[in-house]
Amino acid sequence: MSIVDFDGVSYHLATLDDNDAKLNLSIRWKCWHELVQYGAVDVLKREYSRWIIDPEHGYDFTLQFDLDNIGGDPEDVIRRVSLLKRNAMAAPFERAFDAQSLAEQEDHWDPSSSQLMTIHYRDGEAIYVQNQQDRVTVIFSTLFKEETDRVFAKVFLQEFVDARKKPHLQNAPQVIYSHREPPLEIRHVPGLLDSESQGYITFVLFPRNYAAGAVREETISRIQIFRDYLHYHIKCSKAYMHSRMRARVSDFLKVLNRAKPEIQASEKKLASGRAFRRV
Amino acid sequence: MSNTLRPYLNAVRQTLTAAMCLENFSSQVAERHNKPEVEVRASKEVLLNPVVISRNDKERVLIETSVNSLRVSIAIKQADEIERILAHKFTRFLTQRAESFVILRRKPIEGYDISFLITNAHTEQMYKHKLVDFIIQFMEEVDKEISEMKLSLNARARIVSESYLSQFN
Repeated sequence: MSIVDFDGVSYHLATLDDNDAKLNLSIRWKCWHELVQYGAVDVLKREYSRWIIDPEHGYDFTLQFDLDNIGGDPEDVIRRVSLLKRNAMAAPFERAFDAQSLAEQEDHWDPSSSQLMTIHYRDGEAIYVQNQQDRVTVIFSTLFKEETDRVFAKVFLQEFVDARKKPHLQNAPQVIYSHREPPLEIRHVPGLLDSESQGYITFVLFPRNYAAGAVREETISRIQIFRDYLHYHIKCSKAYMHSRMRARVSDFLKVLNRAKPEIQASEKKLASGRAFRRV
Repeated sequence: MSNTLRPYLNAVRQTLTAAMCLENFSSQVAERHNKPEVEVRASKEVLLNPVVISRNDKERVLIETSVNSLRVSIAIKQADEIERILAHKFTRFLTQRAESFVILRRKPIEGYDISFLITNAHTEQMYKHKLVDFIIQFMEEVDKEISEMKLSLNARARIVSESYLSQFN
């Protein structure tokens, strides 16, 4: 069985040919080698150590389950396995958070310890993660296929920037949006697309956003789905506009049809009660 | 309705009412042809002077008249990028349905967003004052609709961003 996920991820789920009790789950992702470079294997070993086997042909990573002895509460195992993509993607974030925490403990900040990690997780779109002395910046580069999307995104992201001014959202990470112009942190990166449809969104995460434990896990999950969240809402507003226009157009049609004189439809009846039509 | 909108719409209404005295008129150039003269522009003597009524530099109406047809072109207010996109989408939506809007021209005149073409056939089939009403109402509602859509987009954006960021607390 093949399953696809966001960002061009595909899974392959199959039982072994010779043994029905063994179930293989493989994942393939374009940016896998980059994730491995940033320590994805360690994170995955931590999460899935007992099931990891050599990758299936044509895939990047494979888990094997023994259905007779799944090794834990099935509900829990299923939940953990469904987070496979998220966990793989979490590696660069965790690395950046750790590096920043370490740097904070030292008195002396060495700029060379800041590492820019690039994940090209979609065609033409990438996430950049960089640790700095007192914060971690996450930069999304995203493509808007249509002019409309771009304009809508601008409205949405402007609200993201403004929303942080609300008193109850003071703890949220800072959001900076730039259109076309890449932010300073990644300006030196080669191969950035210079076009109108390109947008950059920067999240500035402070240590309180990734305090170890549940907060950190939550933050990683949230940040990962940001792009999907944004694009989903852009599409939804477009759909909403569309249905609104439809309603409005039918209103206009009614008004226009009112301009037509009504045709007298009353039937002429004979004295006997039978209808007739005048030719 | 704001103070400047009323005289503007009144002027358009009066001009349209005056302009909409159309009669059947066969082409003088080709025999057995009967075409809207305002479109073919083949004989000068049946065309009248076009009138432009502007509310400001963005919003204006061009009314071109001839003996058997009348063309009304409307430029819709577009203050910023969003309004421009919304207006464009909206007019495109309408022109794609020109089939059912009998008086809608499929392509707007250059420099305007949407055009109507009314011929003598239309004025014979439909009440003239109702046609004028339709165009006036259209002008009123298009502006209203676009600003409402813009507001709802902003409202949605605000809710979306707040709910996303509040998860970090």
